[in-house]
Amino acid sequence: MDIIFPYKVSVRFPGDLEYIPPIRKFVSELLQVSSFSPKFAYRSEIIVDEICNNAVNYGCKTSNAEVELICEIFEDRIEFTINDQGSTKENLDQLMSVIKQPIDPDKDVQHGLGLEIVRMLSENVDVVIDEKNLTSVHIVRKREDIELK
Amino acid sequence: MEVNIIQIPDKPHAIILKFSGEMDSDQIGMINDTFSQINSNINYVIVSVKSVQMISSSVIGELMGYRKQMIERGGDLVIAGIDFSIRTKLNLIGLTKIFRIFSDPRSALNAYRWEIERHAEKIHVSFPSHLKIVPPVRQLISRIAKQKGYGNRDSFRLETIVDEICNNAVEHGMSGNELSIELNMEIDPEKVELDVTNTSDPEKMASLKALLKPKNDNEIKLDERRGRGLALIKMLTDELSVDCSGTGTSVHIKKVREE
Amino acid sequence: MESQIELIYEDIKGKHNVKLVQFVDDLDATNVETVSEKICNLLNEGYINIVADFKKLRYVNSTGLGTLLHFSKTAKEKNGSFKIANINENVYEIIEIIGATSLLEIYDELEEAIKALD
Repeated sequence: MDIIFPYKVSVRFPGDLEYIPPIRKFVSELLQVSSFSPKFAYRSEIIVDEICNNAVNYGCKTSNAEVELICEIFEDRIEFTINDQGSTKENLDQLMSVIKQPIDPDKDVQHGLGLEIVRMLSENVDVVIDEKNLTSVHIVRKREDIELK
Repeated sequence: MEVNIIQIPDKPHAIILKFSGEMDSDQIGMINDTFSQINSNINYVIVSVKSVQMISSSVIGELMGYRKQMIERGGDLVIAGIDFSIRTKLNLIGLTKIFRIFSDPRSALNAYRWEIERHAEKIHVSFPSHLKIVPPVRQLISRIAKQKGYGNRDSFRLETIVDEICNNAVEHGMSGNELSIELNMEIDPEKVELDVTNTSDPEKMASLKALLKPKNDNEIKLDERRGRGLALIKMLTDELSVDCSGTGTSVHIKKVREE
Repeated sequence: MESQIELIYEDIKGKHNVKLVQFVDDLDATNVETVSEKICNLLNEGYINIVADFKKLRYVNSTGLGTLLHFSKTAKEKNGSFKIANINENVYEIIEIIGATSLLEIYDELEEAIKALD
């Protein structure tokens, strides 16, 4: 029986970088069983890696903070939403400065390369920070080719 | 050189010392003063050196002494955030062979929670009831276990357990993208507990309940189409319970780490 | 624990301060520390020219890329080099996206990279 689009998968995990490799591979495999190309799956893996890294590094104020990744898989695209549990003002200022300025890989830039990659690989990137400093990042990546079996 | 002592809200036995500037032999007095301010109930010190431009061998010697103290208290002293520009020099004087190094204080704190506090970590996955989704889900759980230090054998067994439980959930549950399977994983250094819940298909409840009737393992015939999965789960786990009394089915397992 | 990565070392005949390093699997935020440690050790041992064979390197994220840029910079500071060969198209695309193709010494084939040491 074929998969029916759209469908939603969500993963909630501790704010620890260690969880990211299994989760990015999970998303890649989900896309491949949903008949997306290996290349699309790889690029999506990169997006998931970078946004999860940012959520863990910038959006986990307390030691038991969690991150939630929601993947909505449509026939022609994938939409990611990542929610964290709040950041410090210092981290948020750093995140916003990274979002606003173009990066220069030649400088010793510890942050920023990841978001730049996400921007280049996505059709749309929205970052919303609410009054409680909870950050939600929503990304849309469209399928380049139709490979429905 | 400057130093900030950072208390960690829910961790009374751990502390972060954030240094900046140059940690040379002239600063040893200040380093000793800093450590003298630390409570005797602290047994895990994270020395954050992201903003440090140099660390001398005499400072490393002092830190080794404090590390010994922390180890005697059942903890450790670790280093976090070494800038690459000073890493080669620090490698030469052996810092990275003596101390555990983390990329940042958060990673060091996560290691503390896992290794010293033996704190359980929770993962929740929600996915539609479809057989094709099960392989990525079981691989996810297996990889998480491996990432947390479980051996290949334990990880493989977990993968099998998840596969069987999820396949049963798909087979006996309601299908449809709106109704999802919920998987909760709780993992600590000693064991893994999994809870898988789905919405049952009333038409399939009778066959599910038949499967769950207690029987001897040697009554399961290999040529039976159903029942092998549950029998396998029973053999691979330390605890198994199934509740299908409501509109949903909930399977709980516990698997103790063997490797 | 880290995402799995393996580094396999090999000497290059006739070149005393050069090490060939094969990267296998994924380079990401969870294992950059270990990889940095190993490359630093090589540089400290006098292998100031490193040829990285990426044939079996499946995946690199931005943290991994940042580390590769550091290796390149540090090797140059020691009058050496960090050359990369056999990058797969997926990894190359990411390097290209951030504009780092001109900052890293990239070669299509391993032989080209080794020859460029002369």
